[in-house]
Amino acid sequence: MNYIATIGEREIKVTVEEVGVARYVVTGDGKGHLVDAHQVQDSVWSILYGTNSFEVDVQRRGDEYEVLIDGDCYKFTLMNEQLKALSRAGGKAAAGKALVTSPMPGKVVKLLVAEGEEVKSDQGVIVVEAMKMENELKSAVAGKVKEIFVKEGEVVESGAKLLLVE
Amino acid sequence: MFRKILIANRGEIAVRVERACREMGIRTVAVYSEVDRHALHVRCADEAHLIGPPPATESYLVIDKIIGVAKQSGAEAIHPGYGFLAENPLFAERCEKEGIKLIGPSAHSMRTMGSKTLARKTVQAAGVPVVPGTVEPIATEEEVLRISKKIGFPVMLKATAGGGGKGLRLVKTEGDLHSSLRMAKSEAKSAFSDDSVYIEKYIENPRHVEIQILGDRHGNYVHLCERECSIQRRHQKVIEESPSVIITPGIRAAMGKVAIEAARAARYEGAGTCEFLVDQDRNFFFLEMNTRLQVEHPVTEMVTGVDIVKEQIRIAAGERLSLRQEEVKQTGHAIECRVYAEDPDNNFMPCPGLITSLRTPGGPGVRDDSGVFEGFEIPIYYDPIISKLVVWGKDREEAVARMKRALNEYVVTGVKTTIPFHIRVMNNRHFLEGNFDTNFIDRVFFPEERERELPHFEVAVIAAAVQLYLGERKRAIAARPVGTGEPVSMWKYSGRPGMPKIL
Repeated sequence: MNYIATIGEREIKVTVEEVGVARYVVTGDGKGHLVDAHQVQDSVWSILYGTNSFEVDVQRRGDEYEVLIDGDCYKFTLMNEQLKALSRAGGKAAAGKALVTSPMPGKVVKLLVAEGEEVKSDQGVIVVEAMKMENELKSAVAGKVKEIFVKEGEVVESGAKLLLVE
Repeated sequence: MFRKILIANRGEIAVRVERACREMGIRTVAVYSEVDRHALHVRCADEAHLIGPPPATESYLVIDKIIGVAKQSGAEAIHPGYGFLAENPLFAERCEKEGIKLIGPSAHSMRTMGSKTLARKTVQAAGVPVVPGTVEPIATEEEVLRISKKIGFPVMLKATAGGGGKGLRLVKTEGDLHSSLRMAKSEAKSAFSDDSVYIEKYIENPRHVEIQILGDRHGNYVHLCERECSIQRRHQKVIEESPSVIITPGIRAAMGKVAIEAARAARYEGAGTCEFLVDQDRNFFFLEMNTRLQVEHPVTEMVTGVDIVKEQIRIAAGERLSLRQEEVKQTGHAIECRVYAEDPDNNFMPCPGLITSLRTPGGPGVRDDSGVFEGFEIPIYYDPIISKLVVWGKDREEAVARMKRALNEYVVTGVKTTIPFHIRVMNNRHFLEGNFDTNFIDRVFFPEERERELPHFEVAVIAAAVQLYLGERKRAIAARPVGTGEPVSMWKYSGRPGMPKIL
């Protein structure tokens, strides 16, 4: 199976081929490596890369990955090659519309905008508090606040829809 | 000795106090809010009482409720831990009135040390060096200028009623004085309805070094040497160690002596900490006294062998200190890393939530003071601290290596933690050399980190690709038409244009 990893500006084609129980040949940048991979603890994998042993915590949000190895965080996107091609062909249907969601469980302390209000890209729109820390969340796009899904004082779960900017 | 102690706290510090009580054969009474029924401090206690809804202002901070539980359960003493009611003189007074022993200093000592100007006055009178400046509020601009010239620029203007960084202004030169004074006064006025300010000399690139003291009601005092607390992020300590690389035996003895003088001046009883700023020429100045058990007390325990919580309990019960100054020995080196439920790779965003799996470190010289367990859901209402990882080594080099090793063994999933941040600090050249001050993390470490090249990108991408591949395969099998007999190769499905959407 072919994948495209995007690290910053750079794209790398990665091929995964299953060659045995939990054993794979992974080819990246044209070089093939034998990899022995076991999911050992929730999101944590034990990877034998050649004979080198790594503990790797793989976190994924959509196509975006954050991988922890030895205390370092590797951020990149990874997509199936075909899907990547499809998404390119389809263009950016979602552009100009953005849902602001809560990145963590917490309490809505303050709404900084009202429905119908014009906001700029990167403008703070809502404040969510967790663990005595207030976090201002921003709109990813410029536009009009279409809908607000929460009230001040409301306790929200991680990923909860807060408001829609269009 | 007490037979029963109430612990007016939660999380790791409540568990820490319960451990001491258990070892002393004292029964423990826990209090908990509605979200803390499953919390470790409830599970580790002999008795537990519900005290109200999740917000601390309706549970852990309500004096009447805590006192009510103490009376109902027959607890003779209350340990407040740190935070919550620990430095609240009203609580101390109420305990005194109700005949319940608060494990900590008197309301009088708390008041003396709680006010910045009163603390300055009190310790200065006892011969303790404070940051040069004034003690009384200053009336006129001429006066401010005269004093600033005398102590030398740069100076800090501070609101007398200050706190939280409000009404604070750094004045680098005489030319800036007029506008800075105006701003400090107006900020102080709006924040505290009191526009009086005082002046302190600004100590450039200071180290933060503190002295742990113990005092009993019979007038005996000892100090348990220093803790180096300069590794701070946004003025919050994150890594502490003992000894400090800049403290010589001579300076240690001098700082210990003045810390004891400061405690004596406030008629201090129990465990307390005097914080000092140390300048580049190793002059030290009293900053403030914390009238409670400190978060970072374990590093002192590791190098002195003194169980500070047990000492607190014995002192509160009226016993004499169990050791004399000449018996205090600082052996080896200890480091503590505060593990917070925050994401160091997304601007330290708080990450409350369910701990889906946990592997704690072990092996020689490792201590994990934790308040959580696998399956615990970290609530949104309280401090993000989940554990303190502490190590001991025969010297600093071994302690740092051991900390790095222990951090690498520590695996928490479900929530992000600051463990990766600590590993990076342990690898930093300046930290290894002991070359840092209180601005190190924000001004040196973070900029260096942004430039650092990461060594294992290949492994990271490989692991992610294998995970993605297995996820796709699983979905392809699940989406297989039912009853077609022969197992169908996943390749067939994943190769089709209409393959299951994986996003």
